[in-house]
Amino acid sequence: MRATRDATSWEPAQRWVPDSVWIERTEENSPLARRVQARLPGALTYVTDDLTAAEPGDSFAAGKRRLVVQRHRGSFLQHCPAGTTGMVCCNYLVMNFGSNCPFDCSYCFLQEYLANNPALKVFTNVADGLAEVDRLLRAHPERTFRIGTGELADSLALDHLTDLSCELVPFFAARTNALLELKTKSDCIENLLRLDPQDRVVVSWSVNAPAIIAAEEAGTTSLEARVAAAARVQAAGYKVGFHFDPLIAHDGWEEGYRDAINVIFGRLDTRRVAWVSLGSLRMTGRLKAAIKARPQRGPLLTSELVPGPDGKDRVWRGLRVKMYRRLLEWLRVVDERMPLYICMEPAGVWEKVFGDAPADREVAHRLVAARP
Amino acid sequence: MIESDVETAIRAYAGTRMYSAATVERWLRLAARDAGALLQLATELRLGENQLRDLWDWAEEIGERDGLALSQVFAAPPIAAARGRALGRNDKLKAIKAALRCLRYPQLAAVEGRLAELVRTLQLPRSVRVTLPEHLEGDQLRVEIAADSVAAWRAAAAALLAAADTPACAALFALLDEAP
Repeated sequence: MRATRDATSWEPAQRWVPDSVWIERTEENSPLARRVQARLPGALTYVTDDLTAAEPGDSFAAGKRRLVVQRHRGSFLQHCPAGTTGMVCCNYLVMNFGSNCPFDCSYCFLQEYLANNPALKVFTNVADGLAEVDRLLRAHPERTFRIGTGELADSLALDHLTDLSCELVPFFAARTNALLELKTKSDCIENLLRLDPQDRVVVSWSVNAPAIIAAEEAGTTSLEARVAAAARVQAAGYKVGFHFDPLIAHDGWEEGYRDAINVIFGRLDTRRVAWVSLGSLRMTGRLKAAIKARPQRGPLLTSELVPGPDGKDRVWRGLRVKMYRRLLEWLRVVDERMPLYICMEPAGVWEKVFGDAPADREVAHRLVAARP
Repeated sequence: MIESDVETAIRAYAGTRMYSAATVERWLRLAARDAGALLQLATELRLGENQLRDLWDWAEEIGERDGLALSQVFAAPPIAAARGRALGRNDKLKAIKAALRCLRYPQLAAVEGRLAELVRTLQLPRSVRVTLPEHLEGDQLRVEIAADSVAAWRAAAAALLAAADTPACAALFALLDEAP
């Protein structure tokens, strides 16, 4: 499914289709279920009361080939799990309209987080989720929220099946105290080009050095394709964002990340970049076990990762700081006013990299207030 | 394929140390030479399960990175040298672990070595102890003074003040600040 194209032309990559579709019986006639069925007319489809059968036991890879369409029970909104004690937090909220992702990045934390329920899910009751957001925004009109859908799922990779963006973008376009972030490694932007974001939507891409994308991000689009998609949504009125996360200390990382920065920002209007984040690879014991169990594994497990205060392993601090500083230096050459932040790092690292360690709300404020 | 006598020996050793079944199964899945090398190390150091697993994981990661079998990692010169030292069991385990760590984290170990060298260059008296942050995951040195008199206190403080003005001290903090 990898697409490699000339960055100057653009055509959509081959879109993901599941091996089978599992629909919760009570949701069979929901708009989302009907859309999925209409767009996958030949798919092997099960309509069932018992979705546990959709979970493929211990095979995470098999889970990614099954699409489950179901009602979500419980809250849609959560505080970003990156807001761990001891880390500077950007007060980000995540809104889960599905879980798991069709891509197969070797380092992905979902391998441990969703190990017991890996089937790829989309939720039918989108209106309930948006009502929850609406209540929050109305309760705090003085605050501006950053809310993203790309934490437990790729925000756009299934948009050709669900049209979820067609509900989210108009909803946020009509609000004044929130920014929606759609985070992706895909180039599924066709729906976005037909919508008017009213400056309330940031479409962001997780990006990496080309060598890491090739070796560790199976199924995703190439860096060039992500940039081409970013240029198109930017031209259509969206702000864009980029997340260099996870930064991986591999042979040639300086050249790799510098090249990535040049490829990305060479084609974009940097004044319309909402934010760029940097985050070092984080590894837990369970994620390490999941990576060990993969049929092929790259250099992730042999990197020099050491335990941090939050129990996650990262490359040792001096090297992380060096990586952050280099990337920030190159990013500031591109545009010194681009809003930048680092993810899941303690105040000490912020101080070394930026010269100060802002309070949590201050980070969020800087990001939403940085550019008109 | 592990020969039955090696398998028997592994099961017997693991049984006496009450290893979990999962660890034994993992052990028995190794190539015969690697399983034997691990058994030899375990027996030599009377390793408990967690101790064995720590050494094993590092050795496996070194092997994966450098394209070596587990038995080759355990026979690598720094490990062989540590194993050959005339030390008690605990000190030998520490020495082997330190040697293995240097192989597993070569950049980190090199920086730690350089930092230790810089601390020595400061020529601080024995009453002053400088401790580096663990895994260098922190940017603060810990400096402790032991004093049993005002004079000893003054001497230690004077040595620290003098050291603060040396290039070695500046280099120490520069190296803690960012990887070379």
